[in-house]
Amino acid sequence: MSEVDLCDWCEEVLQPYLDRDLSESEQSEVEGHLAKCRWCERRYKFEAGLRRLVRQAVVEPMEPALKQRLSELRLDL
Amino acid sequence: MSETSSDEARRLAQGARDRVRFEEEALALADQVYRVARGVSRSKEEAEDLMQETYARAFRSWQSYTPGTNLRAWLLRILTNLNIDRGRRAQRTPDSQPLEEGDYFLYNRLEAASGETEEERVLERLSQDHVAEALSAVPHDFRDVLVLVDIGDFSYAEAAQILDIPIGTVMSRLHRGRRILKKELAELAVEAR
Repeated sequence: MSEVDLCDWCEEVLQPYLDRDLSESEQSEVEGHLAKCRWCERRYKFEAGLRRLVRQAVVEPMEPALKQRLSELRLDL
Repeated sequence: MSETSSDEARRLAQGARDRVRFEEEALALADQVYRVARGVSRSKEEAEDLMQETYARAFRSWQSYTPGTNLRAWLLRILTNLNIDRGRRAQRTPDSQPLEEGDYFLYNRLEAASGETEEERVLERLSQDHVAEALSAVPHDFRDVLVLVDIGDFSYAEAAQILDIPIGTVMSRLHRGRRILKKELAELAVEAR
């Protein structure tokens, strides 16, 4: 594959790569391309950062009052 | 006390101990369950109601939980079923229009709009508020999967078990859910300016 075709292929396998769902040989093919292609590398790093941002999206912790109400739902002995 | 009634007393005492242990284990998972509740609800109030219904039901039906199995998944199965029962299906159904853009689309849009070429700078164009708002715009079927896998850290298999859908459906909804999220983010961070 030419490097430009590899860019298209890397775009296609971006999600499975981040999900660690690629075969070992596919994974090293991606990594080999990223080492040579700053254009794709930026997009991969951005996507990994986006995943972290989404993971942190629900940061607001549970109110202590709710925790209290939940334990009051316990059945009486 | 006769032999039989003391056996009976021991059995009851053991049952009570099992139940208390179950309740304590369930409560210890509340923070993790809340993250998912908050992710699938439109507001904090809705998430809190959903938590109370979930725990009330869990405590009532504790005997149907098999000790040693995944309690977090068991609780979330109750939560997602209750969430479906609450008539949320009346909301916007997932549109089936294909999303043509590839996975680099959001980056390309943000880069073009900002003139930045370093990924850290481009990422800074997105805020937590953007993500929360974009997430709430993702239709429920896709959002449930996205919240479980990308926020709750569940595996595809666990998400499939919780939502009672095939693993292939988890993967396709996740794929589409992420695309929809990025499309919404592009609109919030670029077009709204």
